[in-house]
Amino acid sequence: MRQKTIFPYLLILPALLIICLVSLYPALYSIFLSLNTFRRGERVFVGMRNFEQILASTNFWDSLRLTAVYGVLFVLLTMIFAFILAVMLNRRLNYTGLFMTMIFVPWILSEVVTGVIFRWLFLPGYGLLQDLLSPLFGDIAFLGHPQGAMGVVIGATIWRTLAFAMLLILAGLQTIPGEVYEAGAIDGANGWQSFWSITWPLVRPTTLVIVLLLTLQAINATGLFLSITNGGPGRATEVLSVSMYREAIVFFNFGYGAALAVLMLLINIVLAAIYIRTMRSEVVA
Amino acid sequence: MATLIQGRPIATKRASMFSRQKRFDTFLIIVLAVISLIVIFPVVYAIFTSFRPRGFGLSRDLFAGGFYLGHYEQLFSTIRFVRQIFNSLVMSLGGAIVTTVVAAMAGYSFARFSFRGRTLLLALFLGVLMLPGLTNLIPLYKIASDLQLRDTYAIMIIVYAAYGVPFGTWVMMGFFKSIPVALEEAAEVDGATPFQAFWRVVLPISAPGLIAVFITNFVYNWNDFLTALVMLSSTAMKTAMVGLFDFQNQLTGNNNELLIAACVLIMLPGIILFVLFRNAFLRGMLEGALKG
Repeated sequence: MRQKTIFPYLLILPALLIICLVSLYPALYSIFLSLNTFRRGERVFVGMRNFEQILASTNFWDSLRLTAVYGVLFVLLTMIFAFILAVMLNRRLNYTGLFMTMIFVPWILSEVVTGVIFRWLFLPGYGLLQDLLSPLFGDIAFLGHPQGAMGVVIGATIWRTLAFAMLLILAGLQTIPGEVYEAGAIDGANGWQSFWSITWPLVRPTTLVIVLLLTLQAINATGLFLSITNGGPGRATEVLSVSMYREAIVFFNFGYGAALAVLMLLINIVLAAIYIRTMRSEVVA
Repeated sequence: MATLIQGRPIATKRASMFSRQKRFDTFLIIVLAVISLIVIFPVVYAIFTSFRPRGFGLSRDLFAGGFYLGHYEQLFSTIRFVRQIFNSLVMSLGGAIVTTVVAAMAGYSFARFSFRGRTLLLALFLGVLMLPGLTNLIPLYKIASDLQLRDTYAIMIIVYAAYGVPFGTWVMMGFFKSIPVALEEAAEVDGATPFQAFWRVVLPISAPGLIAVFITNFVYNWNDFLTALVMLSSTAMKTAMVGLFDFQNQLTGNNNELLIAACVLIMLPGIILFVLFRNAFLRGMLEGALKG
């Protein structure tokens, strides 16, 4: 650390300005917006009425339920697949680098590109995966079926996120020194036993962190829904974020949309706080 | 190991364990290869489809219609498409440049100086890192409309820059901490000001960190969909992602092969940069998730 002058503040100033302008001020402004309503461009202060309306509307509870279903299935399945992949890749066999690159390609694609590809694969009546998979699911047209459409979005999300989760688990696995396993093997532990009594306890903290990160991602997921289903069929995939986008940007209900945003922000802050606490207590310690 | 396997009849128990291990590893490699192929299949299928003539994309006869370049020719001669690619480039590059410069300065300050309010400011940066961009879209839309800044390069560059700053600062701080202070001290003994020490001595040897921040932010901006969807409404100012989204919605199963060709062109820069700078991406991801 070096001497105190005005120099360190000058260095931070541009970053601070940009953050305040684009991140902090809008966050506060959304609280202000949520207490107002806009009729033909006129702002009217309505206090908590937007929030009362939200909590009284069935759409909100439906969206919340859909977000929860999406989040739980996405996080659970991603973690299972990512864990299996990470354990296999951690053996550092030949071609691991090549496999990693291939698995990472979906992660680098944008949501719209993913959406175009998945709509093509599940094109009703013709798409490749539509034809391959529909016999297993009672011959439904996936994108025209409420649970089917949700299933496609969950599948696409897992496809894009798998590599990210896998990399973090892999990083956790690689912190375990090989001697621990050798000691286990001398004591006669088989593969399964060494996984449950050595690997799992040691990577559990990392796993918790990844679950929280994925949950945060799930709550804010919007792009894939817009590009694959646009909330449909009907409202069958209208999760919280899509509903917020529709209310505010499509129907110009700024107050109502901002109130939804504030509620989502609160959920995010609670989860982020849990995440930071977990990081401090589990990973650093 | 091969000789051990050949000598099976007289091999010890240990040797047979090795060969079992080896067979298991081969089995694992095959499983991994199959999984990797399944994961990458949709992308390969999309590239394949983009070279098939209109109406042939769904044909189960893989080579019906032959190798067709017409979609790409059509895209490159569509002014709207080229313009939107250009818009994406300007906004993504602009945002990434501003992020890298601003984050390098802030990261250096946090890494090297102790000053009043440092902890508080650092906490603020990390707090903003956890803010979801999504919930800020409505106020940003409202502010930009009120200031008549929608559909401008400037607003998009500033917003993209802001998205990248907290994370970029964090990565650069870690990077600067790994550089010995002695370098700057030596420069200052030679009469350099703190700014000159930073600009002339530290920055040039920080290229790997700067490149990592720049590339990841560029790809992130290039892939952005929601912010551009909300902030841009005129066809001439839209980014390629929003253009692709519009294109997908206008087209009702009409020329899917053309749509997929556009999709392939748009995903190409990200994939190329990823293959070239794989380690920069992976390191950035780990830093952000496990040390943030």
